[in-house]
Amino acid sequence: MPTVAATVRPILLTIALVSGPIAAAISTGQAQEPGAIGGHVKLTARVRGARQPSAIYTPRGIPRHDPPAMPEIRNVVVYLKDVAFRGALPITTSEMRQEHETFVPHVLAITRGSTVSFPNGDPIFHNVFSLSRAATFDLGRYPEGHARSEKFPNAGLVKVYCRIHSHMSAAILVLDHPYFATPDDEGTFRLPDVPPGSYTIVGWHERVGERAVRVRVEPGRQTDVELTLPVEDQP
Amino acid sequence: MSRGRPPRLLVKTLAITFGTVALLLAAVFIVVWFTVRRQVRDAVTANLAASQRIFAASETRRQRELRAQAAALAESPTLNAALDTYQAEMRTSGGPSERPELIETIEREVQRLAARVESDAIVLVDARQHTLAAAGRLADRWPRGKTVSLIESKDRDHFDGVARMSGGAFRVVTVPLLVDETSIGTLYLATSLDQGYAEELAAVAGTKVAISSESVLLASTLSPLAAKEFEAAVAAGRPADGTIVLDGESHAFRRLVDIGDTTIYALGSIDESARAATRDAVQSLSIIALGAIVLALGASFLLARMVSDPIGRLSGSLASMAASHDTDARLPLTGSSRELDTLTDTFNDLMASVAAAEAQTQAAYMGAIRALATALDARDPYTAGHSDRVAVLSVAIARTLALPADEIEVIRLGALLHDIGKIGVPDDVLRKPGPLTDAEYTCIKTHPVLGARILRSVPFLAPHIPIVELHHERPDGLGYPNGLRGDDIPLAARIVHVADAYDAITSARAYRGARPASEALKELWRCAGTAFHAEIVGALATALPGVNLEGSGTIKVEPVGA
Repeated sequence: MPTVAATVRPILLTIALVSGPIAAAISTGQAQEPGAIGGHVKLTARVRGARQPSAIYTPRGIPRHDPPAMPEIRNVVVYLKDVAFRGALPITTSEMRQEHETFVPHVLAITRGSTVSFPNGDPIFHNVFSLSRAATFDLGRYPEGHARSEKFPNAGLVKVYCRIHSHMSAAILVLDHPYFATPDDEGTFRLPDVPPGSYTIVGWHERVGERAVRVRVEPGRQTDVELTLPVEDQP
Repeated sequence: MSRGRPPRLLVKTLAITFGTVALLLAAVFIVVWFTVRRQVRDAVTANLAASQRIFAASETRRQRELRAQAAALAESPTLNAALDTYQAEMRTSGGPSERPELIETIEREVQRLAARVESDAIVLVDARQHTLAAAGRLADRWPRGKTVSLIESKDRDHFDGVARMSGGAFRVVTVPLLVDETSIGTLYLATSLDQGYAEELAAVAGTKVAISSESVLLASTLSPLAAKEFEAAVAAGRPADGTIVLDGESHAFRRLVDIGDTTIYALGSIDESARAATRDAVQSLSIIALGAIVLALGASFLLARMVSDPIGRLSGSLASMAASHDTDARLPLTGSSRELDTLTDTFNDLMASVAAAEAQTQAAYMGAIRALATALDARDPYTAGHSDRVAVLSVAIARTLALPADEIEVIRLGALLHDIGKIGVPDDVLRKPGPLTDAEYTCIKTHPVLGARILRSVPFLAPHIPIVELHHERPDGLGYPNGLRGDDIPLAARIVHVADAYDAITSARAYRGARPASEALKELWRCAGTAFHAEIVGALATALPGVNLEGSGTIKVEPVGA
């Protein structure tokens, strides 16, 4: 379990940075009409390189890239950073399937306390495990047609893997607020029902990194944002 | 300079044969020496080329094995998950990890992998080329957090590159760790380019090996001095393939592999190989030489014997001929060679003519001496034919005594010449009709010594001298000139003494007439044992009936053997 200090520190940092606007938003409370954030995310980096010639023998099992993988833009999550959300978080149950020796979807964003189910859609055994700080678990091995679930009570990034197939991985971003979205194939996203105020909006990609932009949300209006990845330490 | 006897034919032949064979062998040895050396140089160079191929094949195989092992290692889900999670959280939190358990997991996994791989070190390098964890024998050379710069090999069939770490260089096979086809880090399977590697490589390639990096010799299987010299040569400017003199020996060398400033050389000593090859050649040659010398010596020994033996036999025959004065004998033909037989024939012809000439000379001498004896006898009418008669009588006595033929011949001539010394006796003494005075008698008594002196001047008459000198000696010692007794007097002289006395008695003298034989014998018997030897008188008595003294006035000339 993560320590209290580790959890609290970013929040304190955020309060120091954006205490003014948030305080304003909170003070005005529910009285004001919420606004929205919309926009585009653009990936300029080539995320998946050419296949590395590491395996001396041909890959066994079933073909991995059939059907074609989802566009990489679907692996981006846009969310507001360091928001102190009060009130009941919506609890959802999502699904992350294991198909063609990949996790589908590759990236999933959920609210804290939600549950993710991992159905096995391949005619072989799979496994789900994580070593991440936010959630460390191992669901064991199970065959096709079976599904096992895990509840994520802590916010943070959870990387999940299959103990049988080392090349399989997925990322689950557990957030303690509901202000997040996954862009569509064109990179368009929309965060509805955001209380007016100043925020840091982040476009995050597991490997490319994240791009943070300051936005101001006006009551009853949609603020448009353009996010371009990658960020600093990519060539 | 004193000149000794010339060497024997056998020695000469052996010396010439031995010299020829030795010269031939020396020439062959020199040719072999140079040929071997040239061939060894070629062989060493070829060996280096072969070792390069062996090295390439061995490294390719090693690389393939390592890659196969590594490919299996790369599929370690726990390691991948731990590394990926660690790096993802590093990115998200943007600072040093607060997850020591993840690092522990990573280290544990790397340790586990190290147990399954034949590698000096297995190192996990993150996406930023920093070492994260290392395990294996030489893990301490790869401290955590160090930036690794890999000099990549152009030919990745052998190995991926060389990484220089503190105090050494590592040959590295890299294995990318892939998650979702993205490299999250790299496993380095590192083999230290150290002494052990050099020795292993040397054993595989069958050459000496030296590994240099940044002008420093990391390891080599050369001798310490040679290694130092080679390091200096490398530092002075990296030499291209060729030959170099190290520790006084010529070495061929060749670059096996060249990655950045790290080079692996294969070296072969030309001298060392040449020594071994030459030793083998010399050994074979020595055996052949020994055989050749033994055969040659045997053959020349036989040849020399074939020539020298007949010559030896011939000279042996000559020596015995010379010893026995047998000039009539002919040398036997050896039959060993035509030349020798011709020589023998020629010698025999020569000897025959020499013998003939000698016989003529002797006959001439004899003629002269007989003439002298006859002339002597003729000085006194009473003694005419005396020498001839004494000779006939003496021969008859000798035959009766069954003496050998050659002794009889000596006696015959000795008897003929027995009074030759009377040539020095004056006529008036010799022919005095009446008793002699003492002085005259003394004068008469000198004639045997005088005769002996005359005969000494003719060498081939030496056997007759005792007869002439001693034919007046008596068994009772009252004879002259020496007064010998009994058996001291030679048999021939005794015989002539008796024959002389018999003829004197039976011959007429100026002062008396001739007396008959029976009376003479009686007189001789009377004095037997004192004046004459009894057995000789007996022999005369036996022989007399068969003796015909008629016609003995003339002298029969016969050749006398030597």
